[in-house]
Amino acid sequence: MINIQDIRDTAKDLLAKGEVRGVIGWKAGTRGMDAEPVVITAPEQADELVWDPTCYHNLALYLVEDRKFLAHARKNADKPIGIVAKGCDARAIVVLMQENYFKREDVYIIGVSCENTGVVAEHKLARQLSGFAASAAAFAGDEFSFTTAKGEKKVPAREVMADRCLECRNPFPKEHNATLGEDKTGRTLAAPFAALAKFEAQGGGERWDFWERQFDRCIRCFACRSVCPMCYCDECVVDSIEMKVLPDTTAEEKANRIRWIERSADRSENITYHMTRAMHLAGRCVDCGECERVCPVNIPLRLLNNKMEREARERFGYEPGASIGGPSLVASFRDDDPGDFIR
Amino acid sequence: MEKTLDKARLNDWVAALGKTGNWEVHAPALEDGVWTYQPVESEVSLDHPNTKQPPKGFAFPQKEIFFSFEQIKGEPARLTEVKPQAPQCAVFGVRPCDGRGTVRMDRVFTDHVADPYYNARRKNVAYVGLACNVTPAPTCFCKSVGGSPVSSEGLDILLTDLGDKYFAQAVTKTGEALMAAADKLFAKVSPADKKSVDKAHADALAQPQRAVKDAAGAPAKLKAAFDSPLWEEMARACIGCGICTFLCPTCHCFDINDEVTGSTPLKGNRVRTWDNCQFPDFTMHSSGHNPRENTGARLRQRVSHKFRYFHENFGMLQCTGCGRCVSECPVGIDIVAVVNKVAEHVG
Repeated sequence: MINIQDIRDTAKDLLAKGEVRGVIGWKAGTRGMDAEPVVITAPEQADELVWDPTCYHNLALYLVEDRKFLAHARKNADKPIGIVAKGCDARAIVVLMQENYFKREDVYIIGVSCENTGVVAEHKLARQLSGFAASAAAFAGDEFSFTTAKGEKKVPAREVMADRCLECRNPFPKEHNATLGEDKTGRTLAAPFAALAKFEAQGGGERWDFWERQFDRCIRCFACRSVCPMCYCDECVVDSIEMKVLPDTTAEEKANRIRWIERSADRSENITYHMTRAMHLAGRCVDCGECERVCPVNIPLRLLNNKMEREARERFGYEPGASIGGPSLVASFRDDDPGDFIR
Repeated sequence: MEKTLDKARLNDWVAALGKTGNWEVHAPALEDGVWTYQPVESEVSLDHPNTKQPPKGFAFPQKEIFFSFEQIKGEPARLTEVKPQAPQCAVFGVRPCDGRGTVRMDRVFTDHVADPYYNARRKNVAYVGLACNVTPAPTCFCKSVGGSPVSSEGLDILLTDLGDKYFAQAVTKTGEALMAAADKLFAKVSPADKKSVDKAHADALAQPQRAVKDAAGAPAKLKAAFDSPLWEEMARACIGCGICTFLCPTCHCFDINDEVTGSTPLKGNRVRTWDNCQFPDFTMHSSGHNPRENTGARLRQRVSHKFRYFHENFGMLQCTGCGRCVSECPVGIDIVAVVNKVAEHVG
């Protein structure tokens, strides 16, 4: 089990020696038990860092933000930035490096192993605590320990863990500069793609009815996109922030600006948005499950991304986030490619 | 008008309203783990926490079509006005924070500018509220922004759960009409009922909540902190999604677009949709310049609108303390902590 002091000491040491310009990690939140993402830049801030079962966030997102900030300010970083990364976070970092979003030497990865656990699923915990809110959560071996108004409550991690963590086989960040915790690569708490397999056992009609109901509920807050480290496009298909109107821009050009997806949150537009996102994540999604966690109306988005992930695995033997130097799924060609359209 | 209603008769009341042919009843229901307002015929059980989305969509839907257009080649464009189809709706189970949200939406769309679309819907909606005499959610803070868990502001009826019955207090004429539509189901208030409801309300008010420490001082503090570097620091984790404002009972910004639905002949609709100050293109100028170009400036805008600008414009805080933006934020940005931190910083 990881001692939080080890994470703090590692961060403190890196900052004190000037090896990194900051460390992205988690700190305690203000609204209850949940941790919050934080970027610390001074050694004395290292004691703010926390590591507990509410460290849900895929912090690779903040590497993307950092890179965008530097590009916007036309600055070059003189030092790498440090990041505390779970297995899934590290896989996302690998994909970003594979895509040349930043270089390996730009990032110092402090890998943390989830060992035999993962992060909490709030809806599962709510059932366990029967309405009592927890004010703090902690790892306790294969259990989680929660502080509630009624005292400490220990719950087996498996009963309240997020599905993404139950299905995860790589809770250890393979790509790292330093690691903490035991390597449990290959662990099986639940069969991979278990939720998807269960869903696909239904008939096509039932599945379509299900998705219509899900997408009808979408409010297009775009949290699924905004939280995703892979959704780094400067201009997304849903906003037209790059359309600049100059004095000589004609009315026709303005009227004909590309709008693949209208603003109206209705079935056709919502489905187009989610399908577009799923396609853009094929071979890139590392199943951190953040899109599903943040959705305010509980759309089970992992089902879409898992479908693409399983296709890539079964048809091409491809696993996203496995190696920085390896080929990427959609930008590489192999002689034994099963498709014939490309020959 | 004050009456009591046996809990066993709630469904009869709902059914009676439906049978009058004048009312479509909506109430919170759990669908796929999300509490949403759904049309109901008779089955209602008011044991929900607050709904994920506030009831603001009844008068201010996320999508409103203003008119449709069609252009056949060689002919003049044809425009067809679309009037809101707004049947009379009775919305059950509205919590007091959302009732107070309605008051604020009315100020914007009725008192300030008479928006015909909003008002066509609004005049046909009645809110049957439910007092919060239960343990508040950890993110509730209505008391510190001038509200209360038993406030009837903005509601047509306030129901209070007294165990085996509801204490029903009609606040408006519409509320009285809703109760009169099933008059026989209601009973007279006994002195014991009166005592019970007073106790229930007192207990509800005594429940501890988180607090904005000095809401009355917030407008001045926020003004003083306009240029503070705190904003960027506090928004460092913000991912720029639209959860906080789309789920807010008082956010009312909108956008208007022409949306094409067919090309031969060219046709489509002019549509009003909710807009969102947290999106990157919200205040972007056509030149590409954006006066609120980062998440810090956008967080400041959201918080200042709730706790300063609205107060300057209408003399009341816009925030009603429902806590949705706090509990639903993917990265824990917490408006209570933000306002308190600004106040502390300004001193």
